[in-house]
Amino acid sequence: MKGLLARMFGVVIVLIGVIALIFIMLWVIPGDPATVLLNDHVSQANIDRLTQSMGLDKSLPEQFFGYMKGILTGDFGSSYFMQQPVLSLILENFPYTLRLTLLAIAFSWTLGIASGVISAVCHEHFLDYLFRGTAVLGISVPVFMVALFLQYLFYYRFSLLPLTYDGSFVSLILPAVALGWNSAGSVARLMRSELMEQLDAPYIDTAKAKGLTYKKAVLAHALRNAAPSVITLMALQLSGMLSGAVITESVFSIPGLGQLALTAVQTRDMPLLQGTVIFTALLIAVGNILADMINTMLDPRLRTE
Amino acid sequence: MTKRHVFLIALLAALALAGCHKADGEKPADAAAETAQEQAGQTEDGLLRLAVNADIVTMDVHKTTNDYIVPMNVFDTLFSIKKKGDGSTEIVNRLAETYEISEDGLTYHFTLRDGVVFSDGTPLTAQDVKFTFERMLTLPDSAQTDYAIAIDGAQELLDQKADSLRGITVEDDRNFTITLAEPFAGFIASLATPPTSIFSEKLVTDAGDAFGVEPEKTIGTGPYIIREWVRGSRLVFEYNPKYWGDEPSVKRVEVVVMEPQVMSMAFQKGDLDVLDCFLLDAAIVNSTYKTDTYKDRLVSTERLGLNFLMLNEKIEPLNNVQVRKAIQQAIDREAILKSIYDGDGKLEDGIFPTGCLGYSSNNQGWLPYNPAAAKKLLADAGFADGFDLELCLDSTATDSVKNTIQVIAQNLNDVGIRASIRSLDHASYLDLRNSGDMTAYWALWLLDFNDPDNIIYTFFGSRDNTKVRSNNYADDAVIERVAEAKTIVDETKRFKEYEALEKKIVEEDAAIVPMFSLKHLYVIGDRVKHFTPHWAGWNDVYFEDTVL
Repeated sequence: MKGLLARMFGVVIVLIGVIALIFIMLWVIPGDPATVLLNDHVSQANIDRLTQSMGLDKSLPEQFFGYMKGILTGDFGSSYFMQQPVLSLILENFPYTLRLTLLAIAFSWTLGIASGVISAVCHEHFLDYLFRGTAVLGISVPVFMVALFLQYLFYYRFSLLPLTYDGSFVSLILPAVALGWNSAGSVARLMRSELMEQLDAPYIDTAKAKGLTYKKAVLAHALRNAAPSVITLMALQLSGMLSGAVITESVFSIPGLGQLALTAVQTRDMPLLQGTVIFTALLIAVGNILADMINTMLDPRLRTE
Repeated sequence: MTKRHVFLIALLAALALAGCHKADGEKPADAAAETAQEQAGQTEDGLLRLAVNADIVTMDVHKTTNDYIVPMNVFDTLFSIKKKGDGSTEIVNRLAETYEISEDGLTYHFTLRDGVVFSDGTPLTAQDVKFTFERMLTLPDSAQTDYAIAIDGAQELLDQKADSLRGITVEDDRNFTITLAEPFAGFIASLATPPTSIFSEKLVTDAGDAFGVEPEKTIGTGPYIIREWVRGSRLVFEYNPKYWGDEPSVKRVEVVVMEPQVMSMAFQKGDLDVLDCFLLDAAIVNSTYKTDTYKDRLVSTERLGLNFLMLNEKIEPLNNVQVRKAIQQAIDREAILKSIYDGDGKLEDGIFPTGCLGYSSNNQGWLPYNPAAAKKLLADAGFADGFDLELCLDSTATDSVKNTIQVIAQNLNDVGIRASIRSLDHASYLDLRNSGDMTAYWALWLLDFNDPDNIIYTFFGSRDNTKVRSNNYADDAVIERVAEAKTIVDETKRFKEYEALEKKIVEEDAAIVPMFSLKHLYVIGDRVKHFTPHWAGWNDVYFEDTVL
């Protein structure tokens, strides 16, 4: 419990660091929202007026502490462009990303773990080569390529699934597969190597000598010992998925968090960018804490007094 | 290898089956909707499906200079511009039934069309017009002050030195007068553009922050109502039964945000009714759509806009007119137009593109491709060994523009100018350009309204304008003349002046390298009988003009 509190405190420190970092980055890179808003129809008078009305003429520390003050009172500010409170925009878009990510995770972890286990058990067998080959393919092909390929195949060629997201569950299948494809590959590879290491360990021979079937030995002992590093990888993948979602969301027209963050960067919309990054950072931190907790449950050696 | 292939196919097949299986549950509703649509499609369906490559950020036209699809279809302007059969444009009355201009060109008297109501039933009054222009000037984050600034008293209102716009006098519900600070011949044309859409004072005030954000609070007098807006995903429009004009053939419009490659797939499968080729690489348009299958489905219109290369006179050696002239002659414009744009356009030698009022054939045909002459000019200017030149590129530019810049760089290298390309993300690009320090860049100006002032004033109308567009044109006397030209009441005299200015700026001072105007191609699906692009070839269209 004490450990958990310490972790939470760590998360807060990380978040403050993240906010400061984004402030500095947005300050360093050229371009500002007034410029983007006016685009080609720019005039010096309008730039000056908008810069002032957006509060961008204030000094950097002034902007930073003003923003921090807002956050402490639960006010994440309003998007310069969308004229809506950042928090409501995030909460509006997050469910789409959540659904997509969960489905992608379900797909990738099932496929990754299953093929990894089969690969390890059927070591140097036909199936092993097949799964290993596919895993390499999964890791090396970028998300947008997978997305376009899936769209071509399932929409264009065979008319089985919708091209873009239309609100239905069916239209989430292709995005989820495209997004999960990559992580499935890495999970499979790690699962295979970890499990093979365990299968070579002497305790497996002991287990077999005790009279356990090979199947039972794998499921009850080896798999459990191979799990922690795979789970750590999976937790890391959560953040990977959230960033991969940016591309997937734009290819499949899903109104998710990734698109929101992308727009925020492109338009230098500071409050919106801060909001999406804080939110994502929080999710990742929580994901990591959860992974550690699961690992502790699985591995008694990690438990502290 | 083959094993992997076999597995891949097996895996995909398994996925496909899984997909089918999951789809089963939802199939009946979808299928029913589809059949209903198909049946209706044979009679009088009314659904138009379009795609755009980027979502809008707001529906409030006072807060954007880009997102016009909602203002154009949900709101209405006092006038509109229509393209005639011969390619010229005319101004048509919309919300304004009649108007009169005083002799001195300063006072405009308008009478509104009788019986116009907003889509919720609120009547349109002259006070709404006054409110609209005042809002343009008083909204803290207004992006459209330019469209109201010509009105008398606008500057005071913008500077918060006045409470109301004294240049607009409301006489009764239908009659009002607008007085300008100085004559502006393009004023009526500027009232035909989306930024001057008329809002309702009552509805906008009642909606508060929700105006332009929530569809049900964003109410206009136009032919359509905005039904649904899912950010980053889609917009749905429906016919406004209270619309004052003729009932359009298109009753419902679904606009989906898609990546260009995805659009092409959707169009070929019949899930889109119109494909905007401008968003695709010209090479793909060539290979896929300029084919026997689609050639009868191609619709093209001239984009009333000039593509050109901007040169910054502040940066050495571009401050030397000989050097700028050399660059003008070093670029093989015809080859670029032919190879990259498949000849879908027309070379332009002036600043006013073909179709723009003020276009003068006297200023055409003087600019040859002559690398030998360019080399000589460079040598005469003391740059026989060439110099380094940075061409800036917006990373969000279309593939065709990126290819064009490559060819230009190559052309310049051929005459000894060591041109390099610097790619910047959109916001950084704009920032550098606005700072006045961008060396040279590819520019496009599409007309907002058909008046020469719209293009020449934007680039050469004031010191500030020449700075934010990074041309830093040096001749103050000419800049003053450009600003003056808009106030000349006599049209013949005014266009003569523009012709002289064009010759001075482009031919004598070589401030820009005029390139070409392009065609805007669309492919239309079988369901569309007649598709009318925007008069100036913008990406956004008036749905009302399409016939299914």
